[in-house]
Amino acid sequence: MKEKRIYEDLSPLLNKARITLIVVEVVFILLLFCFWKIQVLDHNKYWKQSEANRIREIVLPPQRGLIMDRHGEILATNIASFKASIIRENCQDFEESCQNISQLLEIEQAVLKERINKYKDLPLFQPIVIKDNLALDEVSRIEAHKMEFPELIIQSEPKRSYPYKSLAAHVIGYLQEISREEMEDLYKERRQGDLVGKTGIEREYEIRLAGKGGRILEIVDSVGRRIDEMSKVNPVPGQDITLTLDFKLQKRAEELLKDREGAVIVLRPDTGEILALASFPTFDPNKFINRFTPEEWLTLLQSSEFPLENRAIRGLYAPGSIFKLTLALGALESNVVNEWKTYYCSGSTRIYGHPFACWFKGGHGSMNLYEGIRNSCNIYFYQLGKMMGIEEIAHYARELGFGAKTGVDLPGEKVGLVPDPDWKKRVRQEPWYPGETISVSIGQGPITVTPLQVTVYTALIANRGKKVRPHLVHEKTSAERKEGVVDIRETSFEKVIRGMWKSVNDGGTGRAARVDGFNVCGKTGSTQTISTATAEKLGKKSKIVKTHSWFTGFAPREDTEIVVTILVEYGGMGGATAAPLARELFELYRKDNDR
Amino acid sequence: MIDRNQLRNIDWVLIGLLVLNSMIGVAFIHSSSDYIPGNYALKQFFWILVSLVALLLFLSVDYRFFVAYSLYFYIIIVFILAGILLFGRLTAGAKSWIVLPFFQIQPSEIAKITVILVIAYIFSDYKRDYLSIGQGYLSSVIVFIPVLLIALQPDLGTALTYVPILLAAFFLAGLGKKTIIIFLILALLAGIVGWNLFLQEYQKERITTLVSPEKDPLGAGYHTIQSKIAIGSGGFLGKGYKRGTQSQLRFLPARHTDFIFSVIGEEFGFIGVITALLFYFLFLARLFQSVTKSRDRAGVYIIFMVAVTITFQFCINVLMTIGLFPIAGVPLPLISYGGSSLLTNYIAVSLVLNIKMRRFVNV
Repeated sequence: MKEKRIYEDLSPLLNKARITLIVVEVVFILLLFCFWKIQVLDHNKYWKQSEANRIREIVLPPQRGLIMDRHGEILATNIASFKASIIRENCQDFEESCQNISQLLEIEQAVLKERINKYKDLPLFQPIVIKDNLALDEVSRIEAHKMEFPELIIQSEPKRSYPYKSLAAHVIGYLQEISREEMEDLYKERRQGDLVGKTGIEREYEIRLAGKGGRILEIVDSVGRRIDEMSKVNPVPGQDITLTLDFKLQKRAEELLKDREGAVIVLRPDTGEILALASFPTFDPNKFINRFTPEEWLTLLQSSEFPLENRAIRGLYAPGSIFKLTLALGALESNVVNEWKTYYCSGSTRIYGHPFACWFKGGHGSMNLYEGIRNSCNIYFYQLGKMMGIEEIAHYARELGFGAKTGVDLPGEKVGLVPDPDWKKRVRQEPWYPGETISVSIGQGPITVTPLQVTVYTALIANRGKKVRPHLVHEKTSAERKEGVVDIRETSFEKVIRGMWKSVNDGGTGRAARVDGFNVCGKTGSTQTISTATAEKLGKKSKIVKTHSWFTGFAPREDTEIVVTILVEYGGMGGATAAPLARELFELYRKDNDR
Repeated sequence: MIDRNQLRNIDWVLIGLLVLNSMIGVAFIHSSSDYIPGNYALKQFFWILVSLVALLLFLSVDYRFFVAYSLYFYIIIVFILAGILLFGRLTAGAKSWIVLPFFQIQPSEIAKITVILVIAYIFSDYKRDYLSIGQGYLSSVIVFIPVLLIALQPDLGTALTYVPILLAAFFLAGLGKKTIIIFLILALLAGIVGWNLFLQEYQKERITTLVSPEKDPLGAGYHTIQSKIAIGSGGFLGKGYKRGTQSQLRFLPARHTDFIFSVIGEEFGFIGVITALLFYFLFLARLFQSVTKSRDRAGVYIIFMVAVTITFQFCINVLMTIGLFPIAGVPLPLISYGGSSLLTNYIAVSLVLNIKMRRFVNV
């Protein structure tokens, strides 16, 4: 037995052990390569991930600037509101979470998932807002179930509020969630879920109002407990903005438009300050300053009355008789007529073989420039137009500001159209017919203008040719302001103004705008929206048979203080509908500024 | 008992490497757990002292005694395993602990020693070139019984560490082509049956997320991802002792147990990893080389099985930390916190020392 042990040959076993050790050596060398790859080659990637793990960024939203009227009345402010967000990192089971949260917050599951999916590219630890403008009972309900929903957090955020609801809604505009395009082009520092101004002053002065967000970087552990603060940048609050609007005039302007469709603008012609700018129908922007109720907004957007459109700067209308002032100025300036030259109005006439009627079927008789403006006589202006020709008319129309933006500090202003043969050839591929010149002479035909353009045009006349840029926010630097004078003699303006004065104060078409002792000068307009023939077919019942009703005017005649423009869609005759509304504003202004 | 000659033959280098690696463990257990209650580093140090005493006690008895009576030890331990399965308390979702007044013990770790001894006993007189079918079945059954009992606890990770014992024995005994094929088929069948009947859903997930851990970063892949982030963010030089953000801020799971190697990687970087691998390799190499110092076949088997088992566990654990092996709950021998595992490994090394020490003794 002993011998046997001594001679036992263990060498095959020992060889196998040696081979195994070699294999182990190889395995260790391979392990080294693996660690080299992870720790040295891929170090940066993992370093970033470990930093992202431990560092949490808390965004500190800045307070948005207030918007006030010229006397400091607050038109847009901020109030506290609560929003609920989900942190996907803290979900035990995402599907289950969605199901429970949808019950807790009473959101349909599909809707909830859609909201979360929109931000699925965000890192998992970043909260995604799933419901905002929480009611107090919702807040308390979530707080009560806090332990069951570690993935749900409630944050307070300042919410925009417009205390006077729809007042000046078109001027102020509203906020909505930032779009991808805006984030890429306009506001690179902003992030998904931020609310930004979409229109009006909120949009135009977004950067100034918004301020700058701050942030806290803090070190957290795996369950999100804060361990230490790394750095803190305080938010810079947005600047307050004082508008040129006058609260009282604005309020009255909107009251006047109630139940109508149209626009009202009140402007200081010397400075260009807009005292009131109203568009009707209107909307309450409070109703859709949250992230998730686009229905309200979409309904408004698709409404046939276009309440979201700011008619004052985006509504395009034929100027009608208001345009006659352009003809008068142009004809005087180019010496086509002098103010005493008369034409006879018998109620209708034939030009270029076509019949053209005056609005007053009985005829005005013999008309000079003053009487032509006072009575808004079509026949008189047909003659001026015929003599001036379309090129000359278009020239003076442009000189007086039509066919170009007024430069108001609101987004989306439209330019309108001053037609001429070039335009017709280019757009309609047709030659200009001489008959069209006759239509344009009384502000009909393809010509379109915005109510604001009309206001600025009237201001220009009141200024005796001095240009003005309308604005809502007073800029300290006047570099941007449109300066200079138009190339028309002051005497021509005086003559036209005399006609406008007669129109209001001497029993003319604008007599309903007369205010005792305030020397209102003005011009009415009633623009056909369909041809006379069609109108006769439809009869008087249909709404669209009625003309758009214009009035634009200023007061007093010398050292003018305000310009008022009224447009009422389908309002009927300008003198009957628009002029009385203008009178109310002149009166209100005069009462408040009585020295 | 030990005589003077034998004392001179004690492999102090092996003991030194054993303690060195254990102390590295204590250092990193301290780094990764001193901010949580439990005094883990101190406990581990205490366990090292206990294990050293056990190591010396086991040295005093000739290993051939253990081999000769191995079957009795084996039967006892199988009963204990069956007992805790029937009467044990659930701890962390598994019945694997015997709870004693001051500490707990995991019989599933200690059982490894008895399995190694029984296998050595079976193969000690085996001198053919190839493994016989009978011996193959016998040793398989010997391993399978405790593996089944442990898998039912359920503690699949520990059960897994028994597999290399059997493979090591078969490898030494020599495998014919036929046997290899039979075992491959059996393994495949076991795999299929196991996957469908025994593996829990979370265990299956761990295996599937091995392929793409990013698919479910908060679920099954979380541990793997956090571990890789810890190791990768350590870079070349590491973040410094007790300054690893992944471990200190608890993003890394099981920091002082299964993922302790990630802590080494994060806090001491690639340099630390090289050093740890080197010390460990020296220890394993010393074990493997010890086979030449055995005077008999049983000794060779014991030393080889011990070396392979520890190597296998080490590799599984390290591969797990870098996402190349599913998370199986296999601790890093000597380094991870855990008394039972430490004691088992010390006793195993004690057997190796025992064999080397008695190479010249003729009885």
